[in-house]
Amino acid sequence: MRKKYVCGPRRAPFGSPGNARVWWAWWSVVVLSVVPLWRPVPCHGGMLGDEWSRVDRALSIFDPAGTYVSQPIEKAIPALSFKGFFRQWSDINLHRNQKVGFRNKDFRFLQLQNLLEIELHYQFTDNLELTNINHFLYDGVYNWQDAGGLFAPRVSKTARYYHNFERIVQEFFLSYRTHSFDIAIGKQQVAWGKMDGQFIDIINPMDRRESVQLEASDYEYRRIPTWMANATYFFGGNSLQLLYIPNFEQDRLPVPGSPWFPPSVPPSDAIINKRKRPSAGDFGDHEYGARLDISMDPLTWGLIYFYAWNDNPDFFITGHDTADGTVRPILTPRHTRLHHLGVTADYAAALSGVPFIGDLPFVLRVEGLLSTNVKFADARRQVAALSGGDTNGFVDRDTLRAAVAVEFALPENTTFIVQPSLFTTFGWRKRLVSSGFGGATAGNEWNLLPVVFIERPFRFTRDRLRASVTVFPFLGSPGQHYEGTKTKLVVSYKFSRFITGRLIYTTYDGGGRNSTFGQYDKWDNVGWELSYEF
Amino acid sequence: MTRRVTVSWIVSLSAWWGVVCLGLLLMWPRLLLAESRSWKYLSELSEEERRDIDLRTDTPRDTTLPYLPAEPYPFTPPYTAEEMGFRSMEFPHIARWNFTMIEDFGSVMPTGYLSTGKTIVLSIYPEPEGLIGYFNSKPGEVYTRWLSQDTYPPENLGNQMLMLQHRTDQTATTKTDMFAYSPVLRRVRRFPQPRRQDRFPDNPMTFDDFLGRDAWEFTWRIIGTDVLSETVRFPKTRPTITLMTGDGTLKDTPVQSLKMMGDEYPYYTPEGGVPCYVVEAKAKPDWLSNYYAPRIIYWLDQHYFYPLRTEQYGADGELVAMETRLAALYNPDLKERGYHNVITIWWNAQLDFLAYGVHDGHRRRQWSEKDKDTYFNPDFMRRVWFPIPMKTQATVRVPEDFFLRPHLYRDKFPEERKIIIAPEVEARVQAQDAAGHLVFTETLANGQPGQ
Repeated sequence: MRKKYVCGPRRAPFGSPGNARVWWAWWSVVVLSVVPLWRPVPCHGGMLGDEWSRVDRALSIFDPAGTYVSQPIEKAIPALSFKGFFRQWSDINLHRNQKVGFRNKDFRFLQLQNLLEIELHYQFTDNLELTNINHFLYDGVYNWQDAGGLFAPRVSKTARYYHNFERIVQEFFLSYRTHSFDIAIGKQQVAWGKMDGQFIDIINPMDRRESVQLEASDYEYRRIPTWMANATYFFGGNSLQLLYIPNFEQDRLPVPGSPWFPPSVPPSDAIINKRKRPSAGDFGDHEYGARLDISMDPLTWGLIYFYAWNDNPDFFITGHDTADGTVRPILTPRHTRLHHLGVTADYAAALSGVPFIGDLPFVLRVEGLLSTNVKFADARRQVAALSGGDTNGFVDRDTLRAAVAVEFALPENTTFIVQPSLFTTFGWRKRLVSSGFGGATAGNEWNLLPVVFIERPFRFTRDRLRASVTVFPFLGSPGQHYEGTKTKLVVSYKFSRFITGRLIYTTYDGGGRNSTFGQYDKWDNVGWELSYEF
Repeated sequence: MTRRVTVSWIVSLSAWWGVVCLGLLLMWPRLLLAESRSWKYLSELSEEERRDIDLRTDTPRDTTLPYLPAEPYPFTPPYTAEEMGFRSMEFPHIARWNFTMIEDFGSVMPTGYLSTGKTIVLSIYPEPEGLIGYFNSKPGEVYTRWLSQDTYPPENLGNQMLMLQHRTDQTATTKTDMFAYSPVLRRVRRFPQPRRQDRFPDNPMTFDDFLGRDAWEFTWRIIGTDVLSETVRFPKTRPTITLMTGDGTLKDTPVQSLKMMGDEYPYYTPEGGVPCYVVEAKAKPDWLSNYYAPRIIYWLDQHYFYPLRTEQYGADGELVAMETRLAALYNPDLKERGYHNVITIWWNAQLDFLAYGVHDGHRRRQWSEKDKDTYFNPDFMRRVWFPIPMKTQATVRVPEDFFLRPHLYRDKFPEERKIIIAPEVEARVQAQDAAGHLVFTETLANGQPGQ
């Protein structure tokens, strides 16, 4: 089906293949790769005249919050460090209002989010510090456009703004450190891993309101911190970290009526019981983690183990209802225990004598996570469960998600990364009809995402202007061979040391209507981010 | 016996006098110029001035490392050009000893866009300190580790970088192993080492400008001598700079009181100048093929070989970039090899991109074994611990207070220096020289009156 755009149909270049946008994204990658090979043309001076010069000079020292808030506070309380940022994100859908899958997409703004972060550190002694980070978020999509398809605040207030302690107080912990030992107790977030994407970064759940558009650069603001004790012992170049997490939090998926709620999800007539969540008061419900990092120049590597709950509940069939003549399943969402075993490593080297380039430094990163006892819906058991059989409709499988990334330093400060990522389900069979943590998507035994990223600054702007392209092709087998391609083009400009702006164009192409990226075919969008840090 | 004075004798005497006076009249400006010239080509030097110079180019080589001279470092006079190059290796941007400091750095674009930052630097260096420690390391071995912890601007607060520097030679070419931590990612990530010609973000300084260059990658030649009277140029709008004193207090220091080589340097000329050797370094094709700066000219002070001024020339022979420094004695134990830069200015003449770095609060450290184990490992960075908190106020607060572009000295060594810069850059240079501070308006840059 041909797409219709807000700005009118785009013309594909003569001779381009059917999916022109993917083609152009690849061209962008090629162009950004090849351009640095030419000798740069010197650029002399400013080009926009005196007026721009005045604006540029004034903007470069514009920091009202720093001057009138942070600095006076820090001066008055020397042991306190005060910083923060205000960030505005907006995304506009480029397609006309229409029915897509099971959704009435009658909205254009996908987000109008405003986030104010206030970060405080109070230093009691050289070793003892209190940290507090607060988030105040308001998303205007529900107020600033008239859309019947957006009703998420009726389901969860948090969709519109952070309104409770849990979400506003992002982090609050006391830390004590010596040369060889660190301990932090309180609400905090911990990120494990060395590479982009979530492979062994599994400690904290995530606010996934942006679904497939959630980027690694946003994890910091989207992770949901939990109360925990976090101790690390350092020995030589190595370290051993232990985590004890009594407080369980789950992932927050896009709620029905939110901009990114998947259009492929049909309305359900199932009766859903209240979710059973692990209890902080029950010692047996707590989570435990350990991480060992070893430095063996030029290789650094690490091992992790996490005894955790699945951050997303499985909807077990616990009965059925036939009150109105039809069979309605009774579902009980419940989190299940998982064992995670992971490995991470990186290695740096350089290739020499590469044509046109000469020496080519690169870094190789590897990360993998094996998860056991992951629940997958089994079609045969689901039927049996609905018939009153002695099963809840699920089976256990082990999964592996892993990635290899190679990052090259090309001329002119250009970065080029190739990162194939694999998601696989062990013991897969056709009748597994759902996805599970770390495994392939429903209907597939494995998925492969050969992600390609290229970024470069522009010399004539003295690196203030940068552009990047990321292409995420999503492949799978044996079910859905192609789940679509997500392509992201980002242009960022540094207005000053304090203010940065970004323009982002994201498209979702190909794949079927029920596939991971394909279902968001009508969610192509252009967005901007404006960030002021003080 | 008396001699008769004849008319013809008086006429011929007058003619001779006329010739002599005319000759003197014609020669006088040139004699005056030669006397006022601060620089001399090698061929113009007197025997006395050549006393400490060894003009040989094929000196005996070290038996184990043939790219080193056989004469033990730090050599004795007279010095060959190559030995001067080796001695100047003693003074890269980051000192060759154990220390902590806070670097205040910044850059300015022709529009006046100002970017500044502050970073605390901790350095661990092998014994013996100084260049000998580098020579003693085996090629490929990590010889020094630098941990930098950003404190400003706010978006960089908590960013950290650990650089493990390798001893290099013709086969072991990896210079750096680089790890970085960003609070936004909360991860320690390993990065490929930057390419040697790549500039630092928002800065004209290249990776090689930062790390320093190995003398054995170049062939060396003495061009002549010069007396430098000014390197780092303060604007007239900035009479003082706040620097940290030895006792840790911050003190406003009059910029006029800052000397090019610090107060301890004993070899200033009566006018306050520093006599320098001007030497050329040409990249050896078998070591550095297609190097981005195939020809570099250094102004090395004549006694310690400290590089006060550096000019880089591109493959087309034209000036690409300049670096000037203001130094001081920071490590008296190393005597003349203990000098280090207080302020450095980098200017990319093609981009007209200007930057500075102030090494403030520089303190020598004796790291304990515990410190060494703790601070200089990649994993340390994720603790977001600033073990040696430091502050600096040396920063440039407004674009108008930025340091001036270095002197072009077009008249010096014209046969050796090809300075061709764009007309608009030339106009800005002239405007700055006339105003005594940077001038940002395009109108003025185009040769018309600006504000």
